[in-house]
Amino acid sequence: MNIISVGVNHKSAPIEIRERVSLPEDQAKAFLRNLIDDGLAQEAMVLSTCNRTELYVVPAMPEVDCRYMKDYLIAFKNAHNEVRHEHFFNRFYCNTARHLFEVASAVDSLILGEGQILGQVKEGYRIAVEVQSAGILLTRLCHTAFSVAKKVKTKTKIMEGAVSVSYAAVELAQKIFSNLSMKKILLIGAGETGELAAKHMFQKNARNIVITNRTLSKAEALAEELGTNQVLPYETYKEHLHEFDIIITAVSIKDYVLKEPELQQSMQKRRLKPVIILDLGLPRNVDPEIGKLKNMFLKDIDDLKHIIDKNLELRRAELPKVQKIINEELIGFARWINTLKVRPTIVDLQSKFINIKEKELERFRYKVSEEELKRMERLTDRILKKILHHPIKMLKAPVDTADNIPSKVNLVRNIFDLEEQNQRSK
Amino acid sequence: MDNVLFSHMLHPILTGTVSLLYIVTLILYGGDFFRGNAFAKTYKQPALIVTIVSHIAYIGFLTAPEGYLMNYSSAMLMTMVALTLAVTYMFIEFTTKTDKTGFFILSFSAGAEIISSFFFLSATGEGPTFSGFGIGVHLLSAIFSFSSIAIAGLYSFLYLLLFRQIKNNKFGFLFENLPNLEVLEQLIRHAVAFGFLFLSMTIFAGIIGTIQTSEVINLFETRLLVLFVIWLCYGISLFIKKLFGWDTFHMAYLLIVLFVVITILIILMSIYSPTFHSTSF
Repeated sequence: MNIISVGVNHKSAPIEIRERVSLPEDQAKAFLRNLIDDGLAQEAMVLSTCNRTELYVVPAMPEVDCRYMKDYLIAFKNAHNEVRHEHFFNRFYCNTARHLFEVASAVDSLILGEGQILGQVKEGYRIAVEVQSAGILLTRLCHTAFSVAKKVKTKTKIMEGAVSVSYAAVELAQKIFSNLSMKKILLIGAGETGELAAKHMFQKNARNIVITNRTLSKAEALAEELGTNQVLPYETYKEHLHEFDIIITAVSIKDYVLKEPELQQSMQKRRLKPVIILDLGLPRNVDPEIGKLKNMFLKDIDDLKHIIDKNLELRRAELPKVQKIINEELIGFARWINTLKVRPTIVDLQSKFINIKEKELERFRYKVSEEELKRMERLTDRILKKILHHPIKMLKAPVDTADNIPSKVNLVRNIFDLEEQNQRSK
Repeated sequence: MDNVLFSHMLHPILTGTVSLLYIVTLILYGGDFFRGNAFAKTYKQPALIVTIVSHIAYIGFLTAPEGYLMNYSSAMLMTMVALTLAVTYMFIEFTTKTDKTGFFILSFSAGAEIISSFFFLSATGEGPTFSGFGIGVHLLSAIFSFSSIAIAGLYSFLYLLLFRQIKNNKFGFLFENLPNLEVLEQLIRHAVAFGFLFLSMTIFAGIIGTIQTSEVINLFETRLLVLFVIWLCYGISLFIKKLFGWDTFHMAYLLIVLFVVITILIILMSIYSPTFHSTSF
């Protein structure tokens, strides 16, 4: 029983190729049904996100290999002109498992340690379950991957720290103020960047968020979405600057929206209580001279990128720990796969002895009382259990390499004459 | 015979053990702060409790022959400074749930205990014992006030360090691990308030003690003047924000200067006169 994976991802192909082979839910379901109905795969799963489209397949016949699956996907998407084999990666057996573990733990992601991928893997598995293309092997593989991701999340710092500008802004604010719910925040600009920063602030319990924007209706809409309902007219917000502990600017105009004299005045009014100004605009919205004022922390996008770089560095430093967890789980998974290979032999072995037991007991059925027969049955069951214990244990025991399994299986089959037993049953 | 056994065998062993406990606790706090070691994180707090309990027992053991009256030698004062620093820090850690500054405070605590053990082992640990409620409170609150001053100074230093790192976009190790500026400011204010309270108690109990012993209080005595200036500085720094509009940044500088000055005075006192109340500097 082999498992292969092929696909395109951010490492193997550019975005236009990834877009070309992507499989939204309805297409993924159709693709999986085709694979199973055509008798090409015993089990199959599709993982399709903005950065990857990957197939995990347990082939039903030896002809179905990585090359075959690549052609099959290209044909399904009718993408012969754009997509080539070189755009794909391929993995076999344990490397397939390792790859899925790395994907689920977000170490294979474009942004190391991003938090969405596990949900997307779970979604891929859900679709496979829904179309009944997930069997024993894929189910075990996926559940192990979920467990790996959980361990990685709890035992390492791979997902810690901000890796987006808006989230880095929140992280910085939390390094100056202990409780954002007690702070008054002014958001200048209700565009996408400002909205994202405000939402991150809101997630960290900031509730006193006041929004100002040149188009008042936009500010009102965002204030309503956040549930703060606090808006200041763009013409008058500067009169209230001293009331705010955190000011976020994200507007796209050429001139500075905040200049030194007005901030100096505001600082005097608030008796030098610290203020953070997060300038998320491009070009910058705030006069850099403001950063020189006492107790004023002015940070622009470049400054915040320092935090992101530091966090990514910290995440990268966690990679050895993640790989250790993956390796441990991989060993467990490989052992489990090996037990799949010996399982038919164990079943045959048990069947053979149960047959012998039943035949021998049958000879005594009318010679002894029913009670005595039951006692004999219990006795033979106990003897059988003890006789079979060691051979089964030996079969299940881990081996150095998967190549050693057939010799072990053959040995047991020869000793107990299981070949004949198998043939008879056939 | 018992006294000989105590001073030659048991005393050095106990003194060394307490110092060792401080070092172990310090290593655990350092292991957690600098390396994020899971073992250190789990056992640092129990280690601190064990160290404090052992230290109290040790002081009890030391003072038992004198009927639990402390002798106010340099060695005893240093060991009390170590203990009060550790106790004050433990109180802060338990109440604020902030355990990221332990290494810095406890390094002072461990340092004081090691110096104290050197004083004890070099037999300069003898000093006069004082009895009477007034003098006892006076000296104990003086020790506690020094611990609070030390803690305020240390937190001020950490505040300035973090402040500068944020200003200069140095988002490194300390940015990652220290509590935020507002928490540090709160810790400074608490330490200053404690310091002022204990300094007031020191002065008040000192006056009571002097009256009890029928001594004449010399208002121009250097020690008394220095103590009064320090008390005034701490009192002012409590209200400095409201009175003069000073921010925490400037207050932190003042507290560091005060801490350094007071430490230098105590060191001078320890060097030039190992007995506390017979010194003049």
